[in-house]
Amino acid sequence: MPAPAQFDEVVHAPNRLQICALLAAVDSAEFATVRDGLGVADSVLSKHVRVLHEAGYVAVHKATFAARVRTSLSLTAAGRAAYEGHVAALRAIVGATAGQLEAVEPT
Amino acid sequence: MESDGTSAEISPDEATGAIALIDGSRSWLASRVIAPGWYHPAFGLLAGGLIAEGEARSWALFAWSVVGYTIACGALAWVNQRRVRLQMNYWFLRTRLIFAAQILTLGLLAATACWLDLGHGVRGLFLAAGALAAVATVAFGRWTDRALRAHLRTA
Repeated sequence: MPAPAQFDEVVHAPNRLQICALLAAVDSAEFATVRDGLGVADSVLSKHVRVLHEAGYVAVHKATFAARVRTSLSLTAAGRAAYEGHVAALRAIVGATAGQLEAVEPT
Repeated sequence: MESDGTSAEISPDEATGAIALIDGSRSWLASRVIAPGWYHPAFGLLAGGLIAEGEARSWALFAWSVVGYTIACGALAWVNQRRVRLQMNYWFLRTRLIFAAQILTLGLLAATACWLDLGHGVRGLFLAAGALAAVATVAFGRWTDRALRAHLRTA
């Protein structure tokens, strides 16, 4: 069942929207992968991840591999619902505008 | 922090820009999970080698080849997993169907070579089947990549 359209200000910030878009397609991704995907510095990503984590949208996992700590991120159920609802809201806005244009423009 | 869900907060242009950001992120992800150029040929060599090795007609060698094939495939998958640095479900309907078709194709090639070689004494068929299996493995692998790319862009 599609998520109900629900605008979410936590998700809407561009970097956080991209983080959610990446994480929604996978089970989890390493911090460095998400950083590369966004093309931002570690500190910038950390800041946005903290906001998403505090909202209960992103889970942060740490694991030690070959004496190095690897941090991975995943969307929580609440985060996935918020992201899907937000995308539905965005599509509704764009769709409504497209519908209005079709109504006034001759074919 | 959530609003009441109405669309009054942002303009249609901003919504379009946000959707473009999402599409861009998904495209980046799709390009990242696609296997590097050597990946499918390496699997092809392994599969082709396993079948071509039948030409030696040694059950002991065949048994060791299966062990080596299994370990090498696992190692290749692990190396690729370390490269992409993310966990995801690769098994959705389309990739399952492609994998089933690949197994069926390789099985048919091996069975045909067995039947003609061991049953009818035709020589060289394991080598030919191995070469075909290598090509088929690369083709199926790239088909899987295309399916993954499409899946990630629309997920």
